[in-house]
Amino acid sequence: MNPRVPSAINPGDLVSRLNRDVERSILRARNGIRYVRGTNAPPVGATPKDVVWKRDKAELWRYKGGDRRYGPPVVIVHSLVSRSYILDLRPGSSTVEYLTRAGLDVFMLDWGVPDELDADNDLERYVDWYLPRALAAAREASGHDEVTLAGYCLGGVLAALYAAGHEESRVRNLILMATPMDFSEMGAMVALLREGRLNPEEMIDETGNVPADALYSGFYMLAPTTEVAQKATLLENLWNDEFVEGFQAMATWSRDHVPFPGAAFRQLVEMLVRQNILLTGSMPLGSRQVDLGDVRGNVLNAMAERDNVVPPPAVEPVMQIVGDPAHREELRLPGGHVTFGTGRSAFKHTMPKLTNWIIDHSDPPSEPT
Amino acid sequence: MPADQPLWLRAVLRVERTIGEPIESAVRSDTYFDLISTTTRVRRKVEGAAEGVSRRCLHMLNLPAGSDIRRMRQQLSRIERRLNQLSHDVSELDDQVPPVRRSQVT
Repeated sequence: MNPRVPSAINPGDLVSRLNRDVERSILRARNGIRYVRGTNAPPVGATPKDVVWKRDKAELWRYKGGDRRYGPPVVIVHSLVSRSYILDLRPGSSTVEYLTRAGLDVFMLDWGVPDELDADNDLERYVDWYLPRALAAAREASGHDEVTLAGYCLGGVLAALYAAGHEESRVRNLILMATPMDFSEMGAMVALLREGRLNPEEMIDETGNVPADALYSGFYMLAPTTEVAQKATLLENLWNDEFVEGFQAMATWSRDHVPFPGAAFRQLVEMLVRQNILLTGSMPLGSRQVDLGDVRGNVLNAMAERDNVVPPPAVEPVMQIVGDPAHREELRLPGGHVTFGTGRSAFKHTMPKLTNWIIDHSDPPSEPT
Repeated sequence: MPADQPLWLRAVLRVERTIGEPIESAVRSDTYFDLISTTTRVRRKVEGAAEGVSRRCLHMLNLPAGSDIRRMRQQLSRIERRLNQLSHDVSELDDQVPPVRRSQVT
């Protein structure tokens, strides 16, 4: 028997259901018009913050709004291909807000939107130039000698290279979130480049960067029909303001990619994708060889079980490569590449586990500042 | 699939998966990869040829073409990058200089 069809219709139930349906239809119409008009877009990246350091397009933000009880500060290094507000999507659904409220001193290193001026930015520029300066600023602002460095996606690769390649890095904890190590497991996203069907130069436009549209197409082609299912689910939940806001925020972010600096892209394709060099445990950077085993401090490898952008087999080798084997830990979380860091599931699973791990590996609580 | 979803939504989601799964495997196939790389190369060749024609026409009229502007913008970007770098270097050198004691000021 279908559980949705009651055996006997109660007139009271019928009236209340009718009322509910009429109410929802009105709300659906209202929200539908707003959605189509494109008005009432929810604010994204709204957690209050100060800019504590800036060079070119790169900015280091320090979040406000919580009692900073634990040190060292947590510095999040975002990826080069997407906007950092995914980790601060909207109030109540924000990773940085959660961490800040837990008493952590949270910083975000945002790379901005690259243009022609950034076309020559290579991996050395990020690892050896921006990162040391940004982290020095974070240490100075927080008054701590060490940092907890958290890299998301490609930001994790930059963070790991920095922690391994700088003796003075003073990284107490290195958190790698959905960070690819084995690029042969990256699937369709990089297959075209790996097998030489496309060369980096064919993707770089006249600005010297890979255009954001090309990156968006790459993500879109992973699941081209999913948008239909998402829109149908939106239609069903159009009466629910919170659902619509969450949907709009996520839709805004998923279309809001940034150009990839050309020089870094060439290195990424040649070394990381084609040579799969991270899997060897070391990588040339500038005039030296960086050995990922040289990372000092604790390493947390956080991965999403249903990640189809950076699938678990691409992330798992972190446990054999990065840092000291005695200080490596793994955290497997439900969700996909994005949803394990934002949304309801993230607040139920990812955030509490991640926050507890950071607090367990931080100094004991001090007087809030 | 949650049981509280209405029938129409369950039907849409099922149809989406029925159509979506073969499409997803198609876009991971060698044929699709070949198609993408061929399309990209053909598009670039066509764009290059069209640009070449328009450039010659504009140059005949003594006018700058898009590629000239682009080259100039790239050169300007290079100069701006260099200036930015020099400005960063100078400010970092400034930061390293110890503050002058008052007794040293003449």
